[in-house]
Amino acid sequence: MANRWVLLFVLGVIAVLMAAPLVLTLFTSLKPTTELVNPAWYPPIDLTFEHYIRVWTEGGFSRYFVNTLIISVVDAIVMILIASLAAYAMVFMQFPGKMLLQLLFVLGLMIPVTAVVLPLFQIVRSFGLLNTHLGVIFADLALAVSVFVFMFTSYFAGVPKALHEAARIDGATEFQIYRRVVMPIATPAVVTTALLEFLWSWNDLLLRLLLMTRDEMRTLSVGLLNFQGTMTRDVTGLSSGTVIMAIPVVLLFLVFQRSFVRGMTAGAVK
Amino acid sequence: MAGLELKNLSKAYGQTEVLHDINLSIADGEFIVFVGPSGCGKSTLLRMIAGLEEITGGELMIGGTRANELSPKQRDIAMVFQSYALYPQMTVAENMGFSLSLERKSKAEIAAKVQEAADALQLGPYLDRKPGQLSGGQRQRVAIGRAIVRKPKVFLLDEPLSNLDAALRSETRVEISELHQRMETTMIYVTHDQVEAMTMADRIVVLNGGYIEQVGSPMDLYNNPASEFVAGFIGSPKMNFIKGAPADAVGATTLGVRPEHFEMNPSEGAWQGKVTLVERLGHDTVLYVNVEGAGPVTVNLSGQHSQNVGDTVHLKPDAHFIHKFDHEGRPISV
Repeated sequence: MANRWVLLFVLGVIAVLMAAPLVLTLFTSLKPTTELVNPAWYPPIDLTFEHYIRVWTEGGFSRYFVNTLIISVVDAIVMILIASLAAYAMVFMQFPGKMLLQLLFVLGLMIPVTAVVLPLFQIVRSFGLLNTHLGVIFADLALAVSVFVFMFTSYFAGVPKALHEAARIDGATEFQIYRRVVMPIATPAVVTTALLEFLWSWNDLLLRLLLMTRDEMRTLSVGLLNFQGTMTRDVTGLSSGTVIMAIPVVLLFLVFQRSFVRGMTAGAVK
Repeated sequence: MAGLELKNLSKAYGQTEVLHDINLSIADGEFIVFVGPSGCGKSTLLRMIAGLEEITGGELMIGGTRANELSPKQRDIAMVFQSYALYPQMTVAENMGFSLSLERKSKAEIAAKVQEAADALQLGPYLDRKPGQLSGGQRQRVAIGRAIVRKPKVFLLDEPLSNLDAALRSETRVEISELHQRMETTMIYVTHDQVEAMTMADRIVVLNGGYIEQVGSPMDLYNNPASEFVAGFIGSPKMNFIKGAPADAVGATTLGVRPEHFEMNPSEGAWQGKVTLVERLGHDTVLYVNVEGAGPVTVNLSGQHSQNVGDTVHLKPDAHFIHKFDHEGRPISV
């Protein structure tokens, strides 16, 4: 019983530490400028949405939001397609060079983004894709595909081989088996991939800073930098911008929480 | 419907050959059972016929056509898996109609054929359910339904009853035999259960260590086993093998006597021994007897008997049913 209380206390402290920055940011974003002299943990007395309106209109966040949404949604959808197709081939098909390909995917897991960011910039530039949604999408997909192939491979490895064989006997082609037999039972892996890739894409700063230099192409993460100069900082603008950026992600997690956890733990136990 | 011809069929994984020189002719409409212990290659052979395993040597003919390079679909076979392998996201009707939908048959035609198969297997009330909502026996019937709905040339069944309980197993065994009689389609059935083999097969193929030991009708295998292995594998309880003096006396290395081929007498008989265990089954009584000079012997007596552990009994093997084997385990003709 004592152990239980200790555990609850530790979990409570961790929860407070995790939630505190979010709550303080939310408080700051809703305070009128006159209340900023109060300590940060003071809740707002006169609630105001003026900073949100300012950030959305004058701060260009409406445009940044659309850019971010386009890139993140396309990233998530295309990632599901290519990672699941690659993993399907790895698990269910036999072909020459399969081991080598698997090794390359594992290698992809080991290379940090910062190590390849310069060659990536040069490649995107040589294709004429700087300051385009497509350039960032290609870069995002290339850098994260290994992780999701690995995730789908773990999930598909748990699908009974007899299902694949039964479908072959029934006369299905490999693509028909993928589309009609395997993918419909891979919902947890699909949801996890969609959420994680969407989240990574939504929050990424480095690639967007590098590949999107024109203001009208910026995303929310880059847009937040507008509120921070060398000598000054627009605290309310930064806070409300951060909240705007966080809302879609939090909503998605709340809605798909169950499937997300199932997908993350798939393949962990038989 | 089609017959099959297996000519010098072999299977190797790298350097390891697991099936050697399999030669077998299966007539159109025949019910063939592959039987043998675990690891003998019976399931591999079935999967080679299905097109799920590559054939590394020899030739497979289905309906007179070479099928080695054909995909499972082109071979026009249907298979029932041990694990049922039903598509969990589809209803019973969708599972059964899946192959027809891939052939782009009209919805009306698919519905009619699924209904026909469902009626034959008493699956009508379950057509809208998902496999997860069915019992083991119902799932097995859906798996069979999925196979029969296509009316394929050949049915392959890979240990289809091994996940069912004993009562359901014997019930489904009868249903499969009746189905074969109705459809008159070639069926190849894999099992390690010799009772299934004996009760269902037109002919049994006994496999051991990747080789065919014997092919024949159930009674042929029972009465004239081609080896000590077949003699021991076919029949339950298994045949007694007696070495030493009793075998030497008739010029054999091993004597084989089935448990049901003994006569028992409380006071006189060729062999004498003490009862070590009694199993009373009602219709039969099985005695385990330690016979002097012959070792442990199993005796299956018809009806109910009063012997108990520790009693001394006298046994006389029925001379008409004694099998003699040489040192290689081959039968010595009487």
